[in-house]
Formats: sequence, C-alpha cells, structure tokens
Amino acid sequence: MKLTLNGVERDVESPPLTSLLAVLREELGILSPKAGCQQGGCGSCTVLVDGEARRACLIPLASVDGAEITTVEGLGSPDDLGRVQAAFNDAYAAQCGYCTSGMLMAAEGLLRTNPSPTREDIQHTLGGHVCRCTGYVKIIDAVELAAGGVA
Amino acid sequence: MKAVGARLPRYDGVGHVTGQTTYVDDVRVAGMLWAKALRSPIHRGDIMRLDTSKAEGHPGVHAVVTHADVPKNVYGHLEALGVPADEPLLAEGEVRWKGQVIAVVAAEDEATAREAVELIEVEFEEKEPLFDPRKAFDPDAPQIHPWGNWYNHFEGEMDRRQIRKGDVAWAFDQADTIIQGVYRPAAIEHLPLETQISLSVPESTGRLTIYSCTQAMYFSMGVVAAHLQVPLNRLKLVGGTVGGGFGGKVDSATETITALLALKSGRPVKWRFTREEEFLVSSTRAPWHIEIADALTDDGWILGRKTLTLHDSGAYSRFSPYGLTKHSFHHLGAYTIPNVHFDGYVVYTNRVPTTAMRGFGVTSVSFAVETHMSRIADTLGLDPFEFRLKNANRVGDTTANRVVLQDPSTVPIVQAVAEAAGIELAAELRTMSSEPRTGDLLPEHLVSQQVLEKESH
Repeated sequence: MKLTLNGVERDVESPPLTSLLAVLREELGILSPKAGCQQGGCGSCTVLVDGEARRACLIPLASVDGAEITTVEGLGSPDDLGRVQAAFNDAYAAQCGYCTSGMLMAAEGLLRTNPSPTREDIQHTLGGHVCRCTGYVKIIDAVELAAGGVA
Repeated sequence: MKAVGARLPRYDGVGHVTGQTTYVDDVRVAGMLWAKALRSPIHRGDIMRLDTSKAEGHPGVHAVVTHADVPKNVYGHLEALGVPADEPLLAEGEVRWKGQVIAVVAAEDEATAREAVELIEVEFEEKEPLFDPRKAFDPDAPQIHPWGNWYNHFEGEMDRRQIRKGDVAWAFDQADTIIQGVYRPAAIEHLPLETQISLSVPESTGRLTIYSCTQAMYFSMGVVAAHLQVPLNRLKLVGGTVGGGFGGKVDSATETITALLALKSGRPVKWRFTREEEFLVSSTRAPWHIEIADALTDDGWILGRKTLTLHDSGAYSRFSPYGLTKHSFHHLGAYTIPNVHFDGYVVYTNRVPTTAMRGFGVTSVSFAVETHMSRIADTLGLDPFEFRLKNANRVGDTTANRVVLQDPSTVPIVQAVAEAAGIELAAELRTMSSEPRTGDLLPEHLVSQQVLEKESH
C-alpha cells in the first residue's frame, strides 16, 4: 500500500488492519501524533487525511490506501513555522505539549475549510481534544490568532 | 531583570509545535521489546498458584518476571528514615487491590505480550475487600495487613498524626453552639495525556539507561536501585520531558519493572500503560473522610476545633503519611482557632494506592474547611464573608502547629473573592487589613493565646 505523507509518496509494509497511528509512529518514524488513548477519546493522534482532521488511532491502514496524510511535520519546521504552529507558540497554547500535535492538526483542518471561524466554531472543532494542563483558553486564543483574529 | 514582566518564549515551545519534543514514547532504540502485565482481577485474596511456564515458552516472549526475580521485592520510600516498607513491587502470596501487578511479560510486540499474559496460570482464594476508610478504620474490620488497617509509623511510632493546642475542653464548654460536619472528597485520576511509560535499555557497559516520564527523577533512581540492589552508578536515568503529571508521576510506576525485564532479556524494554490502565490502576488522589466539630460563640468566633481525618491510602502507604502531615498543618484553613484537637490516620483499604496530586493533602482539607465555614455561617445566620474575615489569620496569629504568621493573606483573598463574585462588602470589611489584632478583633480568648505564644518564642 501507499500513502502520500506530507507530500512524499511512501510505500507501506504494515498489515492492512494496522492503525494509521501505528503505521506512522512505528513504521514511518512520524512521531508527532501521540498514542494518548488509542480509543478515539483524546484527540492527540489527529492527522489530516485528504485534508480532513481524523483520529489516526481509529483508522485501519487499508481504508486510507493511497490517501494524502498531513502531520505536524508537514506544517512547517522550527525555522519556518506554519501559521497554526506560530500562533500556538506565540499564544503559549502548549504546556506539557502532549496534546498539542492533535490540537494543531484539528485547527489546521478547521482553517482549511473555514478560514474565519467564530470562537464557537473553534470550540466545536476542538471538542473531544483533551488537554489536562492549559484549561483550553489559550488554545482557543491561538486558533483565533492563526485565523487572523484578535486573540 | 529583563525577564521580569516580559513575555519570553517557552524554551520548549518550538519543540512542542513542531512535534520534535522527545517524550519517552518517541525514543527509538533497536531491538525493543514491549511489556504487558498480569494484574490481579480481584480486590483482595491469596495467590494459591502462579505458573508462568506457558507464557515463557510462547514464541516471541523474551522474559517474564514475578516477585521471585526481584532482588529486594518489598521497598518503601521512607525506609531510609526507618519506616518499614509495606509494598511489594510484584505481588507475593497475597493481592490487596484490583490491578496489583503479579507478573510482567516482555515480548517482540504488544500483541504477543498480551497473548503471553493470557497464558499465565494463576489461582486465587478471595477475601472480603474493604473500600471505605471509615469502615476500614473500625478495630473489628477485616485486617488488610498483618499489622492492621492503620499506618503506625509516624514519629515516635505513633499510629496517628496528632495536633494539640490550647484547651479544647474549655472551648467546647464555653461554646454557645457546636457545629459538626463530615466531608468526604473522592479519589481523582490525574489523567495525563501521556500514560505511565518507561524504556529501559541495557548498555554494553553493564549499566542501564532508563528513559522515564517520572516527575521525580531521583526518587525513581533510588527506587530502581533499591529493588535491583545495584549501586546508583549502574543507572542512568533520562527524563524531564513529562507529558502531564499533576502528582501522578511521583511514584515509580513502571521503571523498575522495565529495568528487571531489560536485565533478564538483555534487550531494551518499553512499558506504556493503556488508557484503561491509567484510569483503573495508576495511582489517584486519595479519598478522605474528614469529621469536623467546631465550638462557636453566637457572634461568630470559633473557640475550638476537633478534627478526625482518615486518609484512604489504598492498599499500601507510599507517600500518604506525608500527605496527611501536610493536611494536618493546614486543617484550620486560613483561619485562627486557639484551641485545637486533631487526630489523623492513614487507613489502608483495598483500593488502588493513592498519591500526590496538586496540593497533596491540602486541597481535601481546604474543601472540608471552606464547606464547614459556609455551613456555620448558614446555621448561625452570619454573613459568610464577615464570618471568614472575623476569624481570618492576621499578623501575629499562630497556626495549629504553632507557626507565628508574619504575612498571612486570608484578608485580601476573601476581599478579592467578594469582589470577583460581585458582592459588596460593608466598608469596615472592605478596608480591613491583615494588621495584628486590636479592639473588637482581639477578644479575650485570643489575647491569652497571643500572650502564650509570645512567652514561648
């Protein structure tokens, strides 16, 4: 099977029912998505599948054969942060950082379809993404900032 | 002083937003095995038979450890201070909580390790479990440990943490009203996004490198060295990047066992709790049973307080005595009470052992005290802010354990709470300060306390 991972086509050897999360982390060395619960409950493994934010732990590899996968590694680099990355950094939206990758990808997915989300839109998108440190306010501020809002 | 007041970038901020921060789960080493545990499916009972031979023979399994593999199986954090250890690393003979680890397997992958755990044969004879610290506290309750259900190693080998101050009998004799309450804050799971995890790597030098999510690196190092009976220079611990802790990563959950498995198999071994394990078997904030009785005057002075606190430690004591000690120091809340009688016990139950969580031992008693203060105000028909400000700590007041307060913050905090809640305080309350007591705020029962405290200092 094949995936287009952050713009690069990759052959994949894992068995077809392996979760996309395990394929990314254990076979392809993409470590930004985290195994927070592996039950779809925490959001920390969220990636974009053909542009849509989805939970990699719940996706069998076979169902995304040929798909385009975007992870945090594809958003930018330390010298050239993507808009959501820069906003999260500027707004202090990460504390321990473990949920951050999932938050970033959910935010990126939202902004690709809705460039000017309301605060309610952001809250709705981040619903089900668990952060135990920050209390969410700075995360929501960061998404507003990334969208060009007034956070 | 350029940093004070400035918005500086987080040192780890760019790492977090680029996915480059390396948590334990992100450390890559060749030949790594995965660990899975056989845990007690019952709350309390004797282990009648334990046979790991089929698991050991399962293809892909490289090591299985039980209590027999641990050089020093029973170890306690406070052993160096003379407190006997009470908790085995791996259960031996008896299990005392559902989820207690009995044996752990290291295998090529998680699925193989899970299969092998299923092949371990174990038989139990169940005993009646106890889940309520008030019931476990009764002298005729079933005994969870050979020495009973109370931790009995406070200083002087006492079975309780006790505080005595002033003349509590006088206070209750003088009181117009006695108001009692029972408060039972429940257990809370810390719920870090990163579950408990460690990775132990055997090095060619004979040392072990241990990657850990611990919040307390040197505790963990000492715990591993003690169980393994190796000098500290055999261990290199790597940590400091914690995916959320909140107190739940102070105890060493996995490091010692991955270290044992790494030594036995000669391979790197990782153990990452599932979310289910994190919820069900990782330590929690303790449940408490707190009984308060206050001796009050009708005009709202607290003359005395009697408190009985039971700290549910779960099956083993861990850091609970420390938590109870902090609890005892804070059991008057932010208020001055001259006559005090406090007895606190660490009580064993058949629950998961409890541990630190944000304000270790203090949040529980703060909840109890503030709820009690509101109950008193309601019962006596007093304004809850005025009642708190009247009894608030002031400069020169003494705490239950006789610390003379130099800079108490009760008054400004109560004022700030009122303001935040949109409640307008009377002018004399709004302008009150923490200055030493005089006039109406220095009734006779507090004069004598202050004189006594001056004499003793």
